[in-house]
Amino acid sequence: MTNVKIFIALGLVVGAALIQTTVFQHVRPFGYAPALGLLTVIAIARLLDPEPTLFVAFTGGFLQDLLGGAPLGLWASAFTVVAFVTLKVRDREVAGPIAVLAGVFGLTLLGQFTFAILGTLFGQSIINRPGFFGHLVVPAILNMLLAYPVFWVARMAVRPGERTWAA
Amino acid sequence: MLPSGRRLDRATALFVSLLAVGFLVATFDVRASGESATGILRSGVQTLAEPVQRGIDFVVRPAVGFIDGISNVAGLRDQNERLVAEVGRLEQRLRETAALERRVRELEAINDLAPPEDLAAITARIYSSGASTFDEVRFIDKGSSHGIVEGQAVMDESGLVGRVDLVTPSSARVRLITDPIVSVGVRLQDTNQTGAVTGRGDDLLRLDMFDASEPVREGVVVLTDGSLFPPGIVVGFVNETKAADVGFALRTTVEPAAEFSTLDFVKVVIGWSPLDVDPATGDPLVDAPSFTDPGSVRE
Repeated sequence: MTNVKIFIALGLVVGAALIQTTVFQHVRPFGYAPALGLLTVIAIARLLDPEPTLFVAFTGGFLQDLLGGAPLGLWASAFTVVAFVTLKVRDREVAGPIAVLAGVFGLTLLGQFTFAILGTLFGQSIINRPGFFGHLVVPAILNMLLAYPVFWVARMAVRPGERTWAA
Repeated sequence: MLPSGRRLDRATALFVSLLAVGFLVATFDVRASGESATGILRSGVQTLAEPVQRGIDFVVRPAVGFIDGISNVAGLRDQNERLVAEVGRLEQRLRETAALERRVRELEAINDLAPPEDLAAITARIYSSGASTFDEVRFIDKGSSHGIVEGQAVMDESGLVGRVDLVTPSSARVRLITDPIVSVGVRLQDTNQTGAVTGRGDDLLRLDMFDASEPVREGVVVLTDGSLFPPGIVVGFVNETKAADVGFALRTTVEPAAEFSTLDFVKVVIGWSPLDVDPATGDPLVDAPSFTDPGSVRE
């Protein structure tokens, strides 16, 4: 694992955060935006070693915190949880598009839910919002639609030595 | 590339450590209310990210507008019919509320609540939104070098949008009134009863009134009361007729006047400071309810 790959991965999560705050300000299918940062972390967690993955995930989440309105550290923690779980499941003997998309859906849901729980604990009143379920599920569905393009971009950028599930 | 047991153990230790750091940072940020080091860090990152975000927005906005325009051609006829009907309904409402407006003006004069006629304001453009679907914030392309400070009210042509809560020299963050941690002191245009409007995180606001001697009627205009925002700015319209439930307490919903999904240009009111807010920083003075403090919403 070279430092170059880690910096490229960091560049990907920075790019995802910038696209999230600009492009998806205008493009909001069904009134919701995909969770591009989470999706990028999932893509990177399939390609890098565990420690760099966790470092990149935490840094990317921290950047998302800085560019958003919630207290610092919440998205950083949520991204780290998603990266860790992705690392745990990435080498399971399940493959194929359906398993990959189900994984993306579940991991995005996990990240969003982790943020919601932490945000509520830190006074952001997220869980009791009307339409909270939609805020969890719709971005996860949109992430499924974006999964393969993002995975392709991540793989082309990081160029790992081998392919893991559905790479 | 299966990780060995040792590497996985190291990863688990790193995972736990990072989570602990995340919790510590969050606790520190909440306790510091976004001031001190965390505020400086946010401002610094926002300053660095702003040119790139503006560049992306500059490229994306026309493309999205063009695609929207094409996709909306088929619906223009229906939209026109709806707008004609809406104009008729609004004209009817204007006639009905003329008498009420006279009464409100009299009450404003008595209570010294009349909205300032010539509030200094600057126009800004929104170039970025929050980083997640849970964020109720927008970023505008004007900052402290244009006279913007924290605490100033932000409006669009329809009504109140939010409040400036983070400023860099060339940009500022606006926290929308739809954010559940935002609360606005309001009064009703028809009866002049006062209350507080709080965001819910969706397209409606919650209105709490604590001394409601009269029922609240659907469609009544809700205005800022002049406590933390300039008085007389339209916040929205009562969405549901309600009478006081227990004692004089009343809770209903308000439809915001501002259209948040299509916000583009906004006005920042730089020529007004509430008496109970430090004009230099926008921070509430002692005993004043905090704009972003959930505890400021009296239940």
